[in-house]
Amino acid sequence: MATRVDCGDRARAQQHVFLVPEYLKDASKKMKSGLMFVKLANPCSGEGAIYLFNMCLQQLFEIRVFKEKHHSWFINQSVQSGGLLHFATPMDPLFLLLHYLIQANKQGKFQPLDQVVVDDVFPNCVLLLKLPELEKVLHHVTEEKEIGNKKYYKYSKEKTLKWLEKKVNQTVAALKTNNVNVNARVQSSAFFSCGQVLDSKEEDYIRYAHGLVSDYIPKELSGDLSKYLKLPELSASLPNPPSKKLKLSDEPVEAKEDYTKFNTKDLKTEKKTSKLTAAQKALAKVDKSGMKSIDTFFGTKSFKKIGNVKNSKK
Amino acid sequence: MESRGEVAVEKQRVHLRPVTLRDAAPATLHLLPCEVLVNGPAPVGRFFTPAVRQGPDGLQVSFRGRSLRGEEVAVPPGFTGYVMVTEETGERQKGKQDFSGSSESDGQKDEQELVEAPESLERDFDRFIGATGSFSSFTLWGLETAPGPDAKMRGALAWPSLAEAIHAQVPED
Amino acid sequence: MAWSQPALLLSPLMLLVLTTPVQLSPDYHYFGEKGEGDTWELLRQQHQKGPMVYAICYCPLSRLADLEAMKVADSKTMSESERDRLFAKMEENGDFVGWALDVLSPNLISTSMLGRVKYNLNTLSHDTAAGLIQYALDQGVRVTQVFVDTVGLPEKYQERLQQCFPGIDVTVRAKADALYPVVSAASICAKVARDQAVKNWQFVEDLEDPDADYGSGYPNDPKTKAWLKKQVEPVFGFPQFVRFSWCTAQTILEKEAEDVLWEDSPTQDREGPERITSYFSKGPRARPHVPHRYFQERGLEPATTL
Repeated sequence: MATRVDCGDRARAQQHVFLVPEYLKDASKKMKSGLMFVKLANPCSGEGAIYLFNMCLQQLFEIRVFKEKHHSWFINQSVQSGGLLHFATPMDPLFLLLHYLIQANKQGKFQPLDQVVVDDVFPNCVLLLKLPELEKVLHHVTEEKEIGNKKYYKYSKEKTLKWLEKKVNQTVAALKTNNVNVNARVQSSAFFSCGQVLDSKEEDYIRYAHGLVSDYIPKELSGDLSKYLKLPELSASLPNPPSKKLKLSDEPVEAKEDYTKFNTKDLKTEKKTSKLTAAQKALAKVDKSGMKSIDTFFGTKSFKKIGNVKNSKK
Repeated sequence: MESRGEVAVEKQRVHLRPVTLRDAAPATLHLLPCEVLVNGPAPVGRFFTPAVRQGPDGLQVSFRGRSLRGEEVAVPPGFTGYVMVTEETGERQKGKQDFSGSSESDGQKDEQELVEAPESLERDFDRFIGATGSFSSFTLWGLETAPGPDAKMRGALAWPSLAEAIHAQVPED
Repeated sequence: MAWSQPALLLSPLMLLVLTTPVQLSPDYHYFGEKGEGDTWELLRQQHQKGPMVYAICYCPLSRLADLEAMKVADSKTMSESERDRLFAKMEENGDFVGWALDVLSPNLISTSMLGRVKYNLNTLSHDTAAGLIQYALDQGVRVTQVFVDTVGLPEKYQERLQQCFPGIDVTVRAKADALYPVVSAASICAKVARDQAVKNWQFVEDLEDPDADYGSGYPNDPKTKAWLKKQVEPVFGFPQFVRFSWCTAQTILEKEAEDVLWEDSPTQDREGPERITSYFSKGPRARPHVPHRYFQERGLEPATTL
């Protein structure tokens, strides 16, 4: 995905397709500026990732992009390759802050926040300090001291794990209401009916939620959280295998092309095609929905001609 | 801009012009099951849209001789779809003028209420992006069969509701 | 589904013949009882673009001489006006010669041939022919003999049709349209119908100025080739009128239009080599972070560029 535009033609420019919370539109009525995309360190991988700040609502959004091979957009009268869809969803800024708190903790002392949140590679991280709500929730992950009107913080693993456990718990609840298939092993969906798939163990939910939350925290902390949650180690050599054919929905499985349906419908409407011959069955395998009525191929002229023939017969 | 190299990009901010979110005209979007290796204008309204048919099991059309089956997909509740285009550097000054012009036309009353960010968040080397279209649904196309409930995209569209739970503030003890 | 709407595909003329059984059915019945039966003919017409028209012509055995007297011949040997004249004559003689058509839209042909499960043109032809015969049977016509112009190997085609219709005497021959008057008649019906269809084609697309002069539609017609080249649109290729599956059309697309990759597109080596080098160029970094399976299953990843 190139960021630059290679010619002056506006229509040739890269078009980005986004889904953003509706309220940003209302909020934008009062704003002249303050909505910005910046690159910050992804708290899990440490690599750069795009986030969106709303300085007026004091909010942070994570940007995830839907990316699947072989897609393109038609957008009005244009084509856009890639077929990407960006999701801007509200994000808990504590996750981003944790990354810096853990790094600063190597010095083992209490520090003011503006000394903690420093980054040569991603200097825009200072924007995090402009989120006033952040101060109210910092106690979830830090010990704090106040000396002469100034606050000093120190990362607390114990508090953080407690906080993360709450995150896991609320994620478990959402997984259940969203009917997400959390089964540890993929084959379950192949061998069991839908009803049985739903019968997941609590442990599966917790493990799954742990995995999701781990996407926002450093790897080491993820391991600590697993122990804290008392999740049994998985014996399999390949943890977390993505399933190729996993059912994402709980809708009943139905053949995509059920020709018997068409045939039965036909029997009702077409009295004379009461029995299906081998030829018909062979034909039924082919979708000929592209066939057109012969009428559409002839202009009105030839239609009239046929009508005349009919009359002349009488 | 490109000459600034990687580091500049990391430092850059891409400012989304708020006014464009309000002014974006409705856009029609189709997500195709193929990669068209080009960006640019395409006569969608002449070649594609008129050929779309409502069949017994969803929408039908053909593209490049291949049969497509489609379905209308709504964006997740509480969300709005936007098409955004980054402004070119050369275009920037012009863009700024456009922007101030349109905010004036919003009326003098509004002008006073507009909140300027506390300090200058816009720097010389920043870029700008604006919404050019908005949408509340799009057509999702599958190759020969309808994408159906198991399409990856369908799963992706459920992400915001799960994200909300992960990122909600935790209850205090 | 394929055979669900035969009435739609049937020409009004065919309906006329079949819906006036008072005049016609005794004849059929009579000849049918004689054990000689009606003669059926099929013909296929292949063109570069436009629809594919399949025609059947039928005639009671006792009137075969009358049909021959009309001097029907292979449609390819005739001028357009001659064909039109003979077609009109057949209409006049509806008491002993009838016909039916199956028109396959070019879009159907393209999507069948380019589909995931390739449905080749021969099979499509065979199935359409079988469908037409079956349709006549369903209409109550007593068919005892069938003559067919071959598509592909005549032996295999004959065997296939014979299996579908065990009670009917099936003959599949190359150049049947020159050998049997009834097949000649069918070839005229098909050709006339197709010419009509092409002339009166209504483009699905909202083309600004579709150049009407697209020649005969045969692949070797320079006019047709030139038309295809002129019509090509970089993103969409051709109007649906054109069979995308056709070799000439494919060649023009490859040269003149933008590349389009489908999930079942033959090879995409563009991935392979790049992938391998990217492993090396990424340097000492350990295994990259693998997102949780929730995100993998939904194709979601953190955005890194804008």
